[in-house]
Amino acid sequence: MIDWVAFVTVVVVSLVAASVVVTLFSLALRLGDGTEPWRRRASVALYVLCGAFVLFGIYLIVPALHTVGQ
Amino acid sequence: MVALVIALALIFDFTNGFHDTANAMATPIATGALKPKVAVLIAAILNFVGAFLSTEVAKTISGGLIKEGEDGIQITPALILAGLIGAIVWNLVTWLLGLPSSSSHALFGGLIGATIVGAGIGAIDGAVVVSKILIPALLAPLTAGLVAFVVTRIAFSITKKRERDGFKKGQIFTSSLVSLAHGTNDAQKTMGVITLTLIAANMQDSGTGPAWWVILVCALAIAAGTSSGGWRIIKTLGKGITDVEPAQGFAAEAATTATILASTHLGFALSTTQVASGSVIGTGIGRKGASVRWKTAGRIALGWLITIPAAGLVGAVAAFIASFGMVGVIIDVVLAVATIIFIFLWSRRSQVDARHFHQPEPGAFVRPKKKKAKR
Repeated sequence: MIDWVAFVTVVVVSLVAASVVVTLFSLALRLGDGTEPWRRRASVALYVLCGAFVLFGIYLIVPALHTVGQ
Repeated sequence: MVALVIALALIFDFTNGFHDTANAMATPIATGALKPKVAVLIAAILNFVGAFLSTEVAKTISGGLIKEGEDGIQITPALILAGLIGAIVWNLVTWLLGLPSSSSHALFGGLIGATIVGAGIGAIDGAVVVSKILIPALLAPLTAGLVAFVVTRIAFSITKKRERDGFKKGQIFTSSLVSLAHGTNDAQKTMGVITLTLIAANMQDSGTGPAWWVILVCALAIAAGTSSGGWRIIKTLGKGITDVEPAQGFAAEAATTATILASTHLGFALSTTQVASGSVIGTGIGRKGASVRWKTAGRIALGWLITIPAAGLVGAVAAFIASFGMVGVIIDVVLAVATIIFIFLWSRRSQVDARHFHQPEPGAFVRPKKKKAKR
């Protein structure tokens, strides 16, 4: 009756997703601190990656975007 | 009668809005990432937008909790009205106390209480209540707290101290995402209730989703509620539990969003409020040197425990009065309006508003750089 697997899934998915976003953003901040040009570039790339991840999150909460076929 | 229920449902939506501004915006306001009024405005707009994005929750709100259909008991508009009164009154009481309690639980509690009185205890599906409400209610804040704890550790171990101001910019995005997620979730509950009423009154075919005007007014009501700002709860959540730094705020919001999204995607209705509170506590444990005020946290937890019974009790009383027919319904509404006015007047005695969150301009004079960053 009680779907424990689903709860575990929620915990794991939340943990992984939040960790990814925070790690990316933190690394971007860390790299953005230096002066070398490659660090800046890497930093921007990480921001973009982080943003893309967040956009994917928005994509997930809007059913209209991915349940059109049903 | 139907118009009355819709009006009350919209009032509930409004209280839901200002009750829950804190979920998304308490942490950015506390760290100074966003000015209080700007934060509230962003939250209102995103709640409005979010309400249009998804109607999944609205479609399922009535399913399961109260046995209906062929051999079940038909829930009447009068019972929904009583349930809504329970939810509104409890929402206002907790707002007055500055407690971030769950609006969803207030609504469920009110409806459950009203149904027990109106149709007997057999009309409630106990197993559904346990598996869909009680267990998620327990696990959601724990999950969010755990996630917030872990990501706070990550954020603090990767970044150096002087880099952490950058998290303020990130907070703007993460908190906006929380608002959006909230809009897709909470505005739906009112839409579901109104749709349920219309179906119960035979004004809409059963099995259909909310009408466009229902979506519109619900979105407007929750946005209006949000923009009026529940400053009391923002104060509790942003400053009462623990002192939040930008990195923590970012971590907590990321944890909140991830938890809400993951569980919504897998079909759990959970309380955004409880997730957000859990995150703030988790991030408080995660930062070295930060202390969690467990007294405040305990008060909040107590508020959660009694939300369903308390709203249920009010709903039950309202349902009992409503059982005397039209006169009872009128008495109900008069009492509800009187309570709303009374609580509003009472709240004037100690005002908490945007001015309580004055933050010095970032970088203006608080930037001690004397200590070399250790990590």
